[in-house]
Formats: sequence, C-alpha cells, structure tokens
Amino acid sequence: MGNIFKKLGVGLAVGGVLVGIARSQSVPADFQVLFLVIALIGAIIFMLLDAQPIGAMSGGKSLVSVVVFWVLLITVYVVGPSLLPQFNPEDEKAKIGKLLEKERKNSAQGKADELIARVKALDAQVKALEDRLKGVGGGQVAATPPAGEKPPAAASASAGDFMKVGEEQWQLQECYNCHKLRGEGGKKRGPELDNIGALLTVDEIQEKIGNPKSFMAEGYEKEWQKGIMPNKFKDLMDPKEMQALAAWLGTFKNASVNTPKPIKKN
Amino acid sequence: MKKLSSGLLALMVLFSLCVAAVTNVYAQEVGASSVEFPYTGNRTAVWIVAQLHILFAAFILGAPIFVVISEWLGYRKQDPRYDRLAREITKVTVILFSMTAVTGGFFVFVLLAAYPQFTTSFINQFYVVFAIIYPALFIAETILMYAYLYTWDVWKGEKKGRHIALGVVLNLVCLLILFVINGPTSFMNTPPKAEGVSPQDFIAAASLWDKIANQSWFPLSLHRIDGNVAFGGFIAGMIAAYMYMAAKTQEERAYYDWMGFAAIWIAVGGSLLQPFTGLLLAYEMCDYDFSFCPYMMADQLSMFFEMQGVMIGLLFLGINYYSWLSVKRIEGAENVRMTILAPIVLVVLLPATMWVMNKYWIPDPMSLAFLLPLALSPFLFGRFIPMTVSARTVIKIGFIVMLASDAVWLTPAGFVATGTDMPDELKLPEGWDFLSSMPAKLSAILTLVFVTVVNYVLYNRTIKQGTILWGKIDFVSQFVLIFLAFTSTWIMGLMGAVRSLLKKYFHAYSLVSDLSAESFTPTLSYSAGWITAITVFFIAIVSLAVLVALRPSVSRAREPEGSAVPVAAK
Repeated sequence: MGNIFKKLGVGLAVGGVLVGIARSQSVPADFQVLFLVIALIGAIIFMLLDAQPIGAMSGGKSLVSVVVFWVLLITVYVVGPSLLPQFNPEDEKAKIGKLLEKERKNSAQGKADELIARVKALDAQVKALEDRLKGVGGGQVAATPPAGEKPPAAASASAGDFMKVGEEQWQLQECYNCHKLRGEGGKKRGPELDNIGALLTVDEIQEKIGNPKSFMAEGYEKEWQKGIMPNKFKDLMDPKEMQALAAWLGTFKNASVNTPKPIKKN
Repeated sequence: MKKLSSGLLALMVLFSLCVAAVTNVYAQEVGASSVEFPYTGNRTAVWIVAQLHILFAAFILGAPIFVVISEWLGYRKQDPRYDRLAREITKVTVILFSMTAVTGGFFVFVLLAAYPQFTTSFINQFYVVFAIIYPALFIAETILMYAYLYTWDVWKGEKKGRHIALGVVLNLVCLLILFVINGPTSFMNTPPKAEGVSPQDFIAAASLWDKIANQSWFPLSLHRIDGNVAFGGFIAGMIAAYMYMAAKTQEERAYYDWMGFAAIWIAVGGSLLQPFTGLLLAYEMCDYDFSFCPYMMADQLSMFFEMQGVMIGLLFLGINYYSWLSVKRIEGAENVRMTILAPIVLVVLLPATMWVMNKYWIPDPMSLAFLLPLALSPFLFGRFIPMTVSARTVIKIGFIVMLASDAVWLTPAGFVATGTDMPDELKLPEGWDFLSSMPAKLSAILTLVFVTVVNYVLYNRTIKQGTILWGKIDFVSQFVLIFLAFTSTWIMGLMGAVRSLLKKYFHAYSLVSDLSAESFTPTLSYSAGWITAITVFFIAIVSLAVLVALRPSVSRAREPEGSAVPVAAK
C-alpha cells in the first residue's frame, strides 16, 4: 500500500509541475489534462513494476479473471476514443453531397429519383390548375413574365453566382488545407494566396490548377515540393467550376500579404 | 461451452444479416443499385466482414512464418519445445484457415449485395486475379497446409528437413497470396495514373500488372508482412496465456510460460519494423496524392491518429512490461549490469533526435550521420567505459523515456476534430508547437523502438547470465499477453479503417465515386465501437479454436510422448 501512495504522490507531483509550467505558458487546458494523465499513467506503471508477484490462479478463478479483464478492455476501448473530439460527419456530408450531385443525378438511381420528383411536381401543378379552374377568377392568376425576358438584375446576379461557385469550389476541394487565404487555413504546405490576383491572370491561375507543375512559387522549388499539389483537379471539377475558382482567386489583390511570386515552368 | 455458444450465436447473426440482404437483392428490380443492410447500413456491413476476413487472413498468413522458424529452431537446437509450439500453432491455424474461407465467402456476398455495380466492375478489372490466380493459390495453400500438418509425424527424425522444406514452400505460397491480393486492395487507394490522361482513360488502357503494381502495393505488402508476423506472435502469446492459466501441472506451466516468451520475442521482431514500413506506406500514399496527408494528420482522421498514438504507446509499454516481468523471474538478474552509456543515450535520444530531425529532415544523410553513432554508442563504446548500472535501473529509466516519447507522440497541434476549424485558444502556443510537428512524432517513434531494443538486449544478457525459472513468471504477465493480443488486433482494425477511409468519397480513389448516402467520414467514437466489436468477435473465435484444438484431453490423446521440459533452464 505504501508503494501505491508513494508512486501516486510522485505521479501527482510530476503532473502538477507539468501542468504548472503549461499553465504559465498559456498552453490550452486540454494539453494540461494530457500531461497530467501521462504523469498518472507513469505512476501506475511504476506501481506495477514494483508490485508483489501474483501466484498462479486455479482454472475457474483464471476464467473469471480473464472475463473481467475482457470487460475492462472493451469498456476502455469503447469509452476512451469517445472522449476525444469527434468530427461531425454532417459537415462533410453537405460537401460530398454537392461534389457528387451531378454524378448522382446521372446515375440510374438518380434518374429514377428525378423522374419521381418530376411526376410529383406535375401532380402538384395539375392540382393547382384544378383549384384555379374551380375558382374561375382571372385576377387570381399570377402574372408571369413573357418567355425569354430576364429580370433586370439577372446579369449582375449571375456574375455574383459565378464568384460564389468559385468560392464554393475552394471549400469543396479543400484548397484551404494547404493554402492560407483571408488569414484562414493553410499549414505552410502551399503559398498564401491573398495577393495571387496581382501576380497571375485568371487564365494563368486556371492553368496552374489544371496543371500544377506549370507554375512554381518562389521558395517552393525543392524537389519534394514539386509534386505536392495534386494533379487531379481538372478531373474533379468541370471547366466552368475551375474557371469560377480561378476568377474568384483572381479577385485577391492584397499587396500587404507576401504571396510568393509564381514562376512559369512549362 | 459458453464461448462456443456465443461464437455460434454471433456467426448466426452474421449469417442471417447476409441472408436477409441477399434475399432483398433478388427481390429488387433489375438495375436497382443496392440493398440496405439492417441496423448497420451497407458500408459498416462490408467493413465488419472485410475486417474479420483480414484478421483471420493475417493470422493464417503470419503464423506459418514463425511456425516454420520455430520448427527449424527446434531441429537445429534439438529442443522439442519449439517443435511442440510450431505444431500447436499449426493446429489452431488450420481451424482459423476455414474461418478465413468462411469470412472470405461472406465478404464477397456482402460486397455484391451492398455495392453490386462497383463489385462487378471491380471484379472485371481483376478477373484473372479473382477467377484464376487467387483461387489457384488458395487451393495450393489449403493442400500444403493440411499436408504440412499431417506429415508432421511421418517426416520426423532424418526426414525433418523435408518437413521444414514443405513449411518453407507453404510460406512462399502464403507470401504470393498476400502480394497478389494486395494488388486489388491497394488499387482502390492508389490506382495507377499518368499526367495528361484522365484516370478512367488510363485504367481502360492499363495492363493487369500496371493495376497490381500501383504506388502503394509494395509498401502495403511489406507493412502487412511484418504486421502479420507481429500479429501472429501476439495471438500465439495469448494462446500461451490461456494454456498457462489452464495448465494443471508445473511441467505444462513451464512449457506455456516458455511459449509466451518465444511468441513475444517473434512479435517484438515484427513490431519494431512496423513503424518504419507504416511510414513508408504513408509516404508513398502522400506522394501519390498529397491531399491524403492533411486528411490523415490534420483533418477528419486526425483524432484516429491520436488514438493510434495512444494504442501504440500502450502496446510498447505492454511489451516492455512483459520483458520486465520476465527479467524479474530470472535468478541472478540483479547482478546483470550495463554500461552507463545506455541510460545516458536513452535520456538524450529523444531531444537529440528532435533537434536533428528539425535540422536535417529525412532522407538527408546528415540525420543518420548524427543519430546512428549516438544510438550505437552504448554497444560500440560501452566496453571501454568502466562505469556500469544495474539492468533494472536501465529498464526503469527506459520506462520514463517511453512515457516522455508517448507524451510527445500524443501532443497534437490542437485537440479539435479537424485542423481546418481550429480556434487560436485551442492551439499549442508558439514555442510549444514543435511538439506537434512530424519531426517530433518521428523522434518519438524512433525512441520507443530504441528503448525496446535496449530492453531486449538487456533481457538477452540476463538470460545468458542468470537462470530462468520457467513456469514461475508473475501471473500478471498472462494478462499482459492477452492485453497485447487484444490491443494489436484493435490497432489493425483502426488502421484498416483509416486505410479504407482514405479513399474519401470514392470506391476506387479518383476513379469510381461512392454515390451512396454513406460516403462520409464516420466519427472516431462510432468507428471505435465497431472496431471493438470486431476485435471481440475475432478473439472469441480464436479462443474457441484454442479450446477445440489444444484442450488438455486432445493434447494428451494425440501426444502421448509429451517431451520433458526442465523447470529451470538456462
């Protein structure tokens, strides 16, 4: 028992010192807990190292001990991972839903779903027509614009939509995992892009996305960095989406951010 | 009997799930995409059966490697214990061999039921493998496996060499199977590609060899070879623990104590290589498509890797604790000493490696120029330094270093589910962030491996200088053996899930999209639940196989000669 208290005391003292140092340096609380837990695991290990040996058990007693040990392991291995932060699949589902939207529509199942949706829509229209006919009131019919006539704001709205498509592609293709933009994302894997619009034309940005080796940013020319940008985006985006992404990136002309100069390679 | 009934019940549940799904498939209209597996959903149903199949396959491919090594050692040393170990593990392997076939069949059924269109096109891609090569090799393996078991008594004495040669041929076929089936498996992660050609066009023109020899095929195969050896060793260790606990005589206890020791030695050999072949696999996958890297380490799967760090840390602590308990029962262990350079290098290694890795990142040869002399110095220069410390002190210092390495390994950039969504208040502050870097993680792995190597050198030295009291090991060690088997199985499940999830929303990466509603990254909590369930099911079946193949009445009936084993041996 003395062994246990002594080791526990040392473990708590070591953990306390680690937590104290971490707290004084403004290390977040989660890390402080991690350091304390490891110090306590250390205490348990040293308790076990110096524990008195256990003699052989009888068959029945062994069986019960093994079952209890299994239950303990199962509990720890189910509960332990649940204590860590959990990724919310709903965030990803929405993204993947958008990425696969076209393919899903084109699939056999997608086409069937679309037909069902159309039938339902037609059904609803028929019902609406029936209601209107029953009412026989001309004033009740909503005024619809003649075919081919677009609302006046349509042109600017479509430009805005185009930029939205570009921004959406930035999110969907997870470009932020490697590139910092507007102070968000990036881990220095790729260059910061806040001034890319001042350094490359929209066409050149599009060329870089489609063929990553066409331009190399200054400071990113080491051999292992050359193939780091995946050469897959032209297969994952259609030309319009890629154009939209390039156009959206082309609007970033913030000279205060040090976006490295891209150099034409091939 | 209780285990038997629970195992059968689980099998029946699994079977009924499959039957329910397959029945639904035939009830569908032509052209419909798939069925819905009750309760689990399609993806999890495929995951459960595939993971179970891989676990059984890993054991039956890994066990023959150390079985034949064990048989050869027994022949060379004229020690009957090795031969008995090899034979007992072969008996269990033969039973688990049929489980591999059963789960393999289930796997095909479930895959066809859940994803009929993808499965059909995938089989078409590899029809020569699935229709000819794999079945032919599997049949050859079956014949060789049974021939190996049933010629044990016939080919003994002068004919023993013939039997060992048969074992070697069996292993060659096992290795071939592993390499062949890893072709389609790795293809799903890294299908071959070329610049300027769409993935679909490239695959349409690619030969079978191009598809098999994709970028992650060889590293995956290497990782699975040493993984299977380690896994086989840990499972054999658990078998030894069960038999030790059930042993009625001191002679039996002595034998199974020795068996646990031998199995863990082999498992450690495989485990020490695992981090390096695993890194090679990760390196090749990131080289194939760099977006795998942030997805694994910083984004959706980051906490899966946090969990991997926890489990591997525990595995190494368990391995070294077992060796500590083994040393404790060696008479004269207290007199064994080691050069003072050993504990000095142990303490210095982690910070030194972190410094070197930050300065000269691998594969810069300068990193090796610094680290190799440092790591080898106790072995090269130790004899010239008269100061020594006791073996027990070195091992205890090793445990402190292991805990420090675990702490480094487990320190992420922030405790958040995705690195892309990390508020500053949860991030490691500047000055501490080096702890979350790749050089720090690599240094932690290297240090864990180094401590384990030093402990095993010490263990070996203690065995040579002292007397092992077989059968007298602390009973706690048997629980450590069970813990190691459970943990290594769990890690295989976790990393199997990671490898499969890396395909993201594709069945075959960038090639065939998974259009089902289940194509997303599940939570760690959900995954851990299923990984644990699969582990329990697997361990239960192995326990059942041990009960059937090695229960004392069977052993006594088949092995009346029962070789004498000394209680105390050097």
